[in-house]
Amino acid sequence: MLRIPCPWCGERDETEFRYRGDASKVRPAADAGLAAFTAYVYERDNHCGWHLEWWLHVGGCRRLLKVVRHTLSHEIHAVGGPEDQLSPPPGLTR
Amino acid sequence: MRAPGRIARGLLTDPDRPVGFRFDGRSMQGLAGDTLAAALLANGQRLVARSFKYHRPRGIVTAGPEEPCALVDVIGVSGREPNRLATTLLLHEGLVAESQNRWPSLRFDVLAVNDLMGRFLPAGFYYKTFMAPGWAWERLYEPLIRRAAGLGRLEAIVGDHAAPAETVHDHADVLVVGAGTAGLAAAHRLGTSGLKVMLADQDVVLGGGSLLDARWSAWRESLCAGLAGLATVRCLPRTTVLGAYGHGVFGALETLSPPEAARFDGLRERLRIIRARRVVCATGALERLIAFPGNDLPGVMLAGAAHQYLRRYGVAVGRRPVFFLNSDEAYEAVFALSGAGIECAVVDVRESSLAAERARALGVEVHGGAVVEGAYGRDGVRAVRVVDVTGRARRELAADCLLMSGGYSPATTLASQLGARLTWQEAIAAFTADLAPAIGQMAGAARGVFGLAAAARDGESAARTLAAQLARPVGAADPGVDLPPDADVTPIAALWEVRGPAKAFVDLQNDVTAADVRLSCREGYEHVEHMKRFTTHGMATDQGRIGGLVGSAVLAQARGVPLWQVGQTRPRPFAQPVPFAALAGGEVREHYRPKRRLPLHDWHEAAGATFVSTGLWLRPLVYSPRQGWEAVLNEARAVRRSVGITDVSTLGKIDVQGPDAARFLDFIYASSFATLAVGRARYGIMLREDGMLLDDGTTSRLAPEHFLVTTTTANATATLEHMEFHLQAVWPRLDVLLTDVGDQWAQFAVAGPRSREVVAAVVAGLELSNEAFPFMAASVATIAGVAGRVFRISFSGELAYELAVPARHALAVWSAVLEAGKRFGIAPYGLDALNTLRIEKGHVTAAELNGNTSADDLGMQRMLKKHGDFIGRALSQRPGLTAPERLQLVGVRPLARAHRLRNGLQLVAPEARTTSLGYVTSSTPSVESDGWVGLALVAGGRRRLGQRLIGTSPVHDEAIEIEIVSPHMLDPENLRVRA
Amino acid sequence: MSAPDSLPMPRATPGIRLASCAVDIVEIAALHGRAPELENIAGARGLDLPVLGRVAVASGQLALGVRPARWLLLARPAHSGATAARWQAACGRAGAAVDLSSGLAAWRLAGPQVRDALARACRLDLDPQVFPAGSAAATVMAQVGVILAVLPSGLLLLTPTSTARHLRAWLASTAKPFGLVSEADVTVGVLSGDRAT
Repeated sequence: MLRIPCPWCGERDETEFRYRGDASKVRPAADAGLAAFTAYVYERDNHCGWHLEWWLHVGGCRRLLKVVRHTLSHEIHAVGGPEDQLSPPPGLTR
Repeated sequence: MRAPGRIARGLLTDPDRPVGFRFDGRSMQGLAGDTLAAALLANGQRLVARSFKYHRPRGIVTAGPEEPCALVDVIGVSGREPNRLATTLLLHEGLVAESQNRWPSLRFDVLAVNDLMGRFLPAGFYYKTFMAPGWAWERLYEPLIRRAAGLGRLEAIVGDHAAPAETVHDHADVLVVGAGTAGLAAAHRLGTSGLKVMLADQDVVLGGGSLLDARWSAWRESLCAGLAGLATVRCLPRTTVLGAYGHGVFGALETLSPPEAARFDGLRERLRIIRARRVVCATGALERLIAFPGNDLPGVMLAGAAHQYLRRYGVAVGRRPVFFLNSDEAYEAVFALSGAGIECAVVDVRESSLAAERARALGVEVHGGAVVEGAYGRDGVRAVRVVDVTGRARRELAADCLLMSGGYSPATTLASQLGARLTWQEAIAAFTADLAPAIGQMAGAARGVFGLAAAARDGESAARTLAAQLARPVGAADPGVDLPPDADVTPIAALWEVRGPAKAFVDLQNDVTAADVRLSCREGYEHVEHMKRFTTHGMATDQGRIGGLVGSAVLAQARGVPLWQVGQTRPRPFAQPVPFAALAGGEVREHYRPKRRLPLHDWHEAAGATFVSTGLWLRPLVYSPRQGWEAVLNEARAVRRSVGITDVSTLGKIDVQGPDAARFLDFIYASSFATLAVGRARYGIMLREDGMLLDDGTTSRLAPEHFLVTTTTANATATLEHMEFHLQAVWPRLDVLLTDVGDQWAQFAVAGPRSREVVAAVVAGLELSNEAFPFMAASVATIAGVAGRVFRISFSGELAYELAVPARHALAVWSAVLEAGKRFGIAPYGLDALNTLRIEKGHVTAAELNGNTSADDLGMQRMLKKHGDFIGRALSQRPGLTAPERLQLVGVRPLARAHRLRNGLQLVAPEARTTSLGYVTSSTPSVESDGWVGLALVAGGRRRLGQRLIGTSPVHDEAIEIEIVSPHMLDPENLRVRA
Repeated sequence: MSAPDSLPMPRATPGIRLASCAVDIVEIAALHGRAPELENIAGARGLDLPVLGRVAVASGQLALGVRPARWLLLARPAHSGATAARWQAACGRAGAAVDLSSGLAAWRLAGPQVRDALARACRLDLDPQVFPAGSAAATVMAQVGVILAVLPSGLLLLTPTSTARHLRAWLASTAKPFGLVSEADVTVGVLSGDRAT
């Protein structure tokens, strides 16, 4: 079970959150065209390593969190709000 | 009536409290404090089970949760419970236990013939032999094999007889697993530093190995008293840590002591979910078996187990034991049994050792440089054949039990789950694990540090490391406590197997022999994980704890590589079998899922409503206890002819405020809201980004920067999350505030041609004429004296109003409406009638908004706004989502008025009856016309208006003629709602 | 050696006392960057809005901070919607005030074994060292959303009204071994410590 350190509420059990997918995907501009929206909605990497993802804290502050999690070890490197630019720890991607 | 095996006073047993119990129908007596295994051994019962595959006679092998053989069924008031471990099952008065896997009786078991056929039943036998024909596996072979193999018998325990259970959430700075000398010392040191500590041990008392050594009593008692006096330490005996789940989360199963169980209404087990910043794995080491011919005969046990039965329960497992061992540590059992006056003989693979010298000095007969070649006897050990390591000198020793010890493997299960890598330690002939500093520390025998004093010092040192890490550094070691010294030892000589012609087991529970492991290797399953799956070695409930490494060693020998290269199989949670009831905890029966109740739940109930669960909600289905459509149609008819009222408080309601509220709603909805005037409501549809419909509902503009969104009941939670996600992730710069007001507002639909007169009677300060308050108008108003809101919206297709008031005033307002409607014969209507009305009108609900439908499918393409961005805009324009052959919403009617429609009825062409063209999504008997009407999704449905299809339900053996009609079966010009 | 806090009290002494609280509840939420204005507005009305994770007590009213730039205000019940309307007017264009008086049920839990009973469902550490007096948090219990706050008179629990009965039934059965009694309703004054019970 993940324990996600919510910047607003503190460390909480995974069960309080709703996973909302890949946070590296940015919604295209309205006129970006079908291909851009198809990529935005359907195309996902399935990699072993650091993953930037959205978690909505529905059981707490109801804020949307950006989380850097390792898909193999589940280690959480960083947590922030939607406006934060988060990146994986340097040199630790695998 | 003294039990023959009871020779001394045990540490845990009370000689003044005899306890009666039954095993396989035989009455026996044990003592309070006994486990079932101890009591059986005291009574001389050595045969306790038949084995899984070969039905060989089996006895008790261990004294703890690692037991592979002594599994029993326990028959209690609530039924039969299989696979309880006799070695941990505490004896209580009236306990009834039965042996497993035998027929007709334990002594005479028909399927023991499997043993004679053993050479034809090697590992992998089933896979190879029962290959063809393919159908026979499921119907013939598997049922036969299942009857022959397997353990206990499962019987469902249902209803009130099911054992209560609960889950408790715990938090600690440090979880210490294992309360041997290492764990006790670590917990004490951490506790005195002020850190919050949980100390969990599977045993009923704390102390681990120190319980077996009288010299350690004073130390143990002083530490336990010290721990009890520390407010920061919680000691949890009887608590097995089941697994590590990452991020410092551990699952543990606590078995309640009898007095506590009584206080908790018979609660037996408690699942603890423990969150800890660090862990100390002081899980000790497990004694290993040795694979030699006959090593599964009843009477062959682990040496340490014999020691435990003597010390803890005062039970001698035999009067003429032969020990077969390879380390000095195992001699502790020899010294204990010999000290109790039992005549022991020792077979030690090593020529000489310090411990052997001490044993000889005590008068014990020690055969150095020898191994046991086989154990013999029918249903129990009678003799042991010993052979010199050179293989020349043989001799037979009379024995009534054989106590083996192949060395000690540090218990690394938990550490492995925590990501630790295993390292081979030649000095102890075992693997050890190291935890990452951010996770915790291994301590004591679990780290390969053997000896009680050495382990205690190791635990202390682990605690210091952690305390420093957690910023609670501790001072120097307590100088006052002198630890009893550990004896000097001669190193172990690794010994895994003594080969011979007969079966030598590496896994006693799954009946896996050393020969099976070699066969696996020959067949190409050389990796230890492949060998595990080929042979099932280590796949039983004991997870191969006493023989796992032995199997690896046999495999290493077969492959011709060192053991460290083969490794061990990866252990997974749970560490021991866990009852499902304990996992379910308190979330069973009425607490299984939350029930959402309407503010007027009690009124509906008093009015005779039959309730239905929709999602989490309990909603009135119909105000009648009777099944059938008559009551439903009466309710619906009242709405069509006069007026009715229904509780629609289950609708999701979201308050949307802020300067960018309208812009935000235009992004969220495919419909436009920026153009909505204050005091007006508008029906809107919402798409997912992939272009499919997500939800629909009406949104009202209460003020220029204040909207109220209603969602469908089914999608209320998902819609709010959808809006919150997009506001924060995609349009964070929009200044909008979303508040869930679903429970705040009760909402009632007053519908029917007389609804205006009824609503006018309860609403103050609002002119309801068509001019002043037209269809889709919305306004705040005082309703029956309560500040509320009135919306002129209609789901039924009739003139209708929805009244919203704060839920705490629901009853007053509802009653006032009923009173005002009395002269029109107002009647409350339930979900069934609501459904009847909306199907006739062609309004969609969750049955049609099913996640696979596009706006075009439901005939709503015109509602997608032409200009501006919104969620789903781009992908809803994909040609595939408007393709003419897609399933489209239509109305359906049976040609014969007497025929009923069913939801799910498949629609087929008369000439192609096996090709589905679509299906009925909703259906109801009609109040507006004769017979049934329904909605359906049909391929190219809009082109088929007027066509006749066949509605077929193979499961009901039905096929009826259907006419495709417009979904707007009632008042297609929408005149009634504007009346 | 059993843990002392898992030993229920004899049933003669109730381990848990539960009282409903008759209160008006208003949620005020600040528009972008307007939280300081809301703090000033509340301050002028005698209420210091607490930081996140805390509850503030003033005469006859309480404020809880469990969501960023949002506060739940508890006050004596007034005529329907009047408290919310007052706050809506006060907030002006700095934010929104939404009436939740009917949306949330408010209970006060008191007694020596409240934390033990809640640990059967609450995943938060309610140890006074970790969650001391004045703390507030939103979390989930028995699959239902709850907001908890530690007040001088006990633990305040807010929960959606539609599932309140479910949570109440859960509490009743879980707290049975500890002894649970229902008390008469309490007022905001009691909650905020103005008057003794």
